[in-house]
Amino acid sequence: MITAERKPIDEIRAMVAPYKRVLVLGCGSCVAECAAGGEKETGMLSSTLRMANKMEGKDVLIEEKTLDRQCVKDFVILLDDIVDQYDAVLSLGCGAGVQAVAEMFSEIPVLPALNTEFLGETRDQGYWVENCLGCGDCMLDDFGGVCPLARCSKQLFNGPCGGSREGKCEVNPEIPCAWQAIIDRLDRFGSLDRLEQIYPPKDWSRKQGGGPRKIMREDQRR
Amino acid sequence: MKDVSRLKRVLDQGGFAVTAECGPPKGADAEAILKKAELLRSTVDAVNVTDNQTAIVRMSSLAACSLLKSAGLDPVLQVVVRDRNRIALQSDILGASALGIRNILCLSGDHQSFGNQPQAVGVFDLDSIQFVQVARTMRDKGTILGGEALTKAPELFIGAAANPFGDPFAFRVVRLAKKVAAGAEFIQTQCIYNLDRFEKWMAMSRDRGLTEKTCILGGVTPLKSAGMARYMKKKVAGMDVPDEVIRRMESVPAKKQAEEGLKICVETIQRLKEIPGVRGVHIMAIEWEDKVAEIAEKAGLLPRPVISKQ
Amino acid sequence: MESRISQDTREQADKKPRISQGVKRTLALFYCQNTPESGEAVRQALEKKYASSLRLFPIPCSGRLDPLHLLKALEEFADAAYVIACPEGACRYFEGNLRATKRVDMTARTIAQIGLEKERVGIVANSKENPKPLAKLAEEILGRVSEIRPSPVLERPKTGKGTKEKKDDHSRKKTH
Repeated sequence: MITAERKPIDEIRAMVAPYKRVLVLGCGSCVAECAAGGEKETGMLSSTLRMANKMEGKDVLIEEKTLDRQCVKDFVILLDDIVDQYDAVLSLGCGAGVQAVAEMFSEIPVLPALNTEFLGETRDQGYWVENCLGCGDCMLDDFGGVCPLARCSKQLFNGPCGGSREGKCEVNPEIPCAWQAIIDRLDRFGSLDRLEQIYPPKDWSRKQGGGPRKIMREDQRR
Repeated sequence: MKDVSRLKRVLDQGGFAVTAECGPPKGADAEAILKKAELLRSTVDAVNVTDNQTAIVRMSSLAACSLLKSAGLDPVLQVVVRDRNRIALQSDILGASALGIRNILCLSGDHQSFGNQPQAVGVFDLDSIQFVQVARTMRDKGTILGGEALTKAPELFIGAAANPFGDPFAFRVVRLAKKVAAGAEFIQTQCIYNLDRFEKWMAMSRDRGLTEKTCILGGVTPLKSAGMARYMKKKVAGMDVPDEVIRRMESVPAKKQAEEGLKICVETIQRLKEIPGVRGVHIMAIEWEDKVAEIAEKAGLLPRPVISKQ
Repeated sequence: MESRISQDTREQADKKPRISQGVKRTLALFYCQNTPESGEAVRQALEKKYASSLRLFPIPCSGRLDPLHLLKALEEFADAAYVIACPEGACRYFEGNLRATKRVDMTARTIAQIGLEKERVGIVANSKENPKPLAKLAEEILGRVSEIRPSPVLERPKTGKGTKEKKDDHSRKKTH
């Protein structure tokens, strides 16, 4: 899933300040899962903004709606009937959602209420961790299911570095050393000898070699 | 006259090599690095120049090495993979060689969050082991990554760093083996305070035949105070400072602690000389370069051998 | 007025709106239905007693409270919004009261970011040794919030004597 966190209220208020009729738009997918932009959070943000405006005597229309997913055209298009009523959309989608809405309704400013962060897992309730960088060339089978790109602070392929201490990373002792995890994992599988081979340099062109990426699947298209 | 790696020559001749570390200034001041280097002339076989150590912006290692080379010293160019992609790394290798620099130490580098530019991107295009391999291939095959031929291959004595004290301990020797397999001809270790643990690591390295294939130089750093010892134990990742070393430092009055630290350093070097497979010592007296000569003298490392230029 | 009051006190009183006279403040109180003597009859009696000063909202467990409830209350009618929870360790659903505490804290931080006093929200855990009935807790909490200035969020009809006009930067300006 994609994780995000809500921007500070001050920052959001500054962004919407020029507008008088704002649609606060939530998303029911990833950002709802990480409690940043779902229906509840959309309600909370709207209420907070309305209260702040009232305190300052500002007369601004703030209304809410939540889509199942903001990053899919078929859902975004549901806004077609109502979007003209507003002069700005404050989106609680991830960066993909904000932009999908902006693509569809290019005459209205679509503002990001969230800071999109990482691809990750819900390790525990209220706790999300980054585990994938979207490199386009998955090597998880070589590393026992632990990604050295996303989870090693230095992206080492032949780690660990000298700063690994008691299974923690030198950058922040709360971060588990990915290489300790890789070693433990492969050891458990009895394939630690894999790590004796020098892992070759990464082909980064699969990530950024051709500029922003796309996928076209003819069998899926109309 | 051919540029030579004095360090390599000393090792080839079977001598116990001595290297020391030199940090470039936080400014464009060429004099600063030359002054430091003068303190080391005739005391060491080669001088390592650090590469934006601790991710703090300093004069580039390549430029500083060039200055040292012009002053007649044998610099070891330290290069971290944190700041440069493979294009720049390979380019710098060619440039270094062209400037007559004959030693390179390939490192990962401290993470950018430690330094004074924490907002910088960390490049990490290659890791240090891949980098050793690339350097070796450029030198021996005259090709860059991907196989394209160079017009002239670089001439370099290639090294890597090793930390006998990082975790997991058992894997440390595997990592050393990888560095050797990648082509590291000399190794400089993290500074040693725990000799027992270091000896264990050396034994494991010997068992794997690694000491035949590479020259291991044990790192030492003189302690200036008990506070420094405690700091290094607690705050510096990958460091092993045994409690008895700290106690020893604490047992002398503050004014005498520097002297005690130097004593410990000399004793460490003397012990290192006795360990089979240790081919030299790397003295990292950061911001205390004026003591290197004294350490070398007391440890019986002087005078440095004369080497033939052929 | 009384001659015992010093000039300083008079000036001090003049700086703030006089909060104890004339301006009605409303407390929204969300209470766990496991609170002693908190049945529907009690709720109605209390709302009658305190008229528009108190609005009561029963919830099956304080853990069912959402920050949105508190925010909506503050937005629409309440000067303060509080939660009554069961004592620590005595939640019928084990953790509900702990979760409620975290959510109230989060709400307090949120409203602080727009300039509302954190004290406008709060959570009161009933006593373990001597659990009090709803009426008693309601009375205590009303006392606790009685000094909070009327919420700058809410529109109030101007009353006559005793009401201090709010400062200019909170005055109701219609902008179009």
